Amino acid sequence: MSKKSTRRDFVRHSAAAAAGIFVLPEIIPSSVFGTGGKTAPSDRIVMGCIGTGSQGMSNLNHFLQLKEAPQFVAACDIDSLHLAKAKTTIDTFNKDSGCRTYWDFREFLEKEKLDAVSIALPDHWHGIIYTEAVNKNLNVYGEKPICRTINDGQTIVAAVKKTNVIWQTGSWQRSLPNFRRGAELAINGRAGKIKNIEVGLPDGVRGIGTPPVAEVPPQLNWEMWLGPAPKVPYRGVSHWDWRWILDYSGGQLTDWAGHHIDMANWGAGLEYTGPVEISGSGIYPSDGIYNVPVEYDILCKYANGIEMRVANSSRLKLGMGTTWYGDKGWIHTDRGNKLSASDPKILDEVISENEIQLYKSDDHWQNFIDCVRSGDQPIAPIEVAYRAISVGLLGEIAMTTGQTIHWDPDKEEIIGNPGATRLLSRPYRQPWTLPTV
Amino acid sequence: MRFHHTFKIIYIMIKRYYIIFLLIAVVIAIFPSCRKSEVYETLLITGQSEHNWKASHPVLKQILDGTGLFSTEIMITPEKGGDMTNFNPDFSKYRLVVLNYSGDSWSEKTKQAFIDYVKNGGGVVVYHGSSIAFPDWKEYNEMTGLGGWGNRNEKDGPYVYYSKNTLVTDTSAGKAGSHGPRHDFEVRTRIADHPITKGLPARWMHASDELYQQLRGPAKNMQVLATAFADTSFKGTGRDEPMLMVIDYGKGRIFHTTLGYGDEGGGPAMQCTGFIVTLQRGAEWAASGSVTQEVPFDFPNVSGVVLRPDFKEITLDEAIDNICNYDIQKSTRYFTCLQDRIRKASGDEKTILMLEKKMVSILKNDEASAESKKLILRELSWMGSDYCIPAIKGLAEVPELKDDVTFALTRLRTNN
Repeated sequence: MSKKSTRRDFVRHSAAAAAGIFVLPEIIPSSVFGTGGKTAPSDRIVMGCIGTGSQGMSNLNHFLQLKEAPQFVAACDIDSLHLAKAKTTIDTFNKDSGCRTYWDFREFLEKEKLDAVSIALPDHWHGIIYTEAVNKNLNVYGEKPICRTINDGQTIVAAVKKTNVIWQTGSWQRSLPNFRRGAELAINGRAGKIKNIEVGLPDGVRGIGTPPVAEVPPQLNWEMWLGPAPKVPYRGVSHWDWRWILDYSGGQLTDWAGHHIDMANWGAGLEYTGPVEISGSGIYPSDGIYNVPVEYDILCKYANGIEMRVANSSRLKLGMGTTWYGDKGWIHTDRGNKLSASDPKILDEVISENEIQLYKSDDHWQNFIDCVRSGDQPIAPIEVAYRAISVGLLGEIAMTTGQTIHWDPDKEEIIGNPGATRLLSRPYRQPWTLPTV
Repeated sequence: MRFHHTFKIIYIMIKRYYIIFLLIAVVIAIFPSCRKSEVYETLLITGQSEHNWKASHPVLKQILDGTGLFSTEIMITPEKGGDMTNFNPDFSKYRLVVLNYSGDSWSEKTKQAFIDYVKNGGGVVVYHGSSIAFPDWKEYNEMTGLGGWGNRNEKDGPYVYYSKNTLVTDTSAGKAGSHGPRHDFEVRTRIADHPITKGLPARWMHASDELYQQLRGPAKNMQVLATAFADTSFKGTGRDEPMLMVIDYGKGRIFHTTLGYGDEGGGPAMQCTGFIVTLQRGAEWAASGSVTQEVPFDFPNVSGVVLRPDFKEITLDEAIDNICNYDIQKSTRYFTCLQDRIRKASGDEKTILMLEKKMVSILKNDEASAESKKLILRELSWMGSDYCIPAIKGLAEVPELKDDVTFALTRLRTNN
């Protein structure tokens, strides 16, 4: 486990930042006062949020519902309606009208003095904004998948390692008891030695054909929404449905990699490594603006012999979720508090003290706040998230090229395949560049 | 000594020629079977039906013969009420019989000849309305597995359908066969490793068709390859009803498709790429026991219905020609056709280079649209070789392509 960031680091960073040219915010981050803050407001974690669409608002509400909710002071979005909604939510909660609003994340990051930031954006923006936020020494609650490309992910991981900020990925299944229990049974060999894993993720969605170019709604800053992605005219697709277009996302596969592949890795001890061989095939829409694969079937081989199959759930017997197959049976977990096994007795097994005890969190958002206070590693740290999405992204490369990909999980390089190697990154549209760490 | 030496040389040469001769003989012997198999002589029987057989049968012939695998002869029966004694096809001449027929009973002699044909290994395709035919002919119902209408009920066999992802054989009493109004619906592959369904999507959209439901029959030696959910909002049963079935009868193989309502010019159900391709694959399997056809890029999936108004697959040259005219609001299917070719050529450097050359020809074509060049630049950015670089650089001064040229060149510079 990497070195923890300490509260003292925070004080130093925040104090340095406070000396900057921008106006000091009214709420002073608790970190400025060090460990012994007594008064309630200053002891609260001061937060802002970037990206206030459906997932951003969901996270905001989760944070506000905590017993000791953080103090939200600022919000940033390129859609003024989303932004107004977030401000209303925050102001209502704070019983004031003080929530500051920004459309440009750069200004937000320069001016706001925060302990932490909650970020929920389309994947194509993750590389730049996650890295910028981490470079500003902000603790981050960041949505999965943490990157659109392997190269973006490597940069974000490096930034977190360098700054030692607290990073929590929005892989909240980790904080639910059925998933934790399933993974703990699996990793302690209750289905025997794990031989292979099946991961069922959602099928693709119905297409919308080729919609005409439309007028950009007045609330939307389309140029900023696109950011580093290729310039295209607005055609009515932005919020939510960006998931079905390859410039912004890899579809259901990369959306859900941060959940069920993450679970698979957790229960098989693969959290800090990756596959060595990846092959697969995808079924793509033959027409229309949506171009992500609607079906996918990927096989990953690991150095220790484990094989992981990741496919859209209609192709799998057990459908959605994660199934660990050992030499004595299987264990399956899925949403809806699902946990089942080849033999129900497996589920009654007791994990003794000298066996592997997986990290326990009862609330994903609370776990982040707790770790910001304590400096401990949260339950869904950055590298683990990067390893989970890597499986999806390498699968995407195997499908795009039609080739078997050989991957070095230590050097994090594709071996002997220049074409596939080029797909490890997506060049950014000028003037955007991936920040240096 | 000299003579002996010469003899030895001749002997060696003969031996060498013999080997070459033998090799040539072997090549000659093997070569025909290396080619894309034989053409299956096919008999399409039509002439009576509740459906528009006059519209559907030429389309069936076009679809089958379009594969190059079948040579279809059409045989039209006497009209309803006509003299069926003269309807005596010589089934033994054919590898495949396609039935687009429901009407008067055949003569006993013809029925027996058909039974013998199938028992001896003949292939049969039962198409759409033919599920209705011959309710009283026991052997026919054993061949089709399931049927409907014509006073069929529990005496004819169970209902067969899927419920909660499990195959159900339901012997409850009730009439057989019904359908609601035509509509687009989703077909779900149930057996993914059969030669007919191998490589097909798990779910695909079928265009406006009658969704046959409540079929019942002997269902012996039958596998349900695909089903469709009969939505109650279209007067459906709320069950997953069989759409594609295969049946073994004697040594014969039967492919039964309930899909393909035929209208003038085929209509959407027959123009649906899913109908066309499953028919082509099912027919090949029925004729030969295997399927050599690749799944085409335009096979529909859950993203939506795909039609082939001319019943033909896009060729690579058509794709390249049409990509040149691409505009942001036009169909992307010619481009996705090209992408599919690239994926399928994986590892075949010669084919990839051939494709790259065609792509570069679009970049160099002054008539080709800027939008088409953007698509090509994005694709070349990962799969292009040094060959494409000058052509890409040649576009650097085109203002609307500046970003895309930078994208392509940046990525092409990334290497191990």
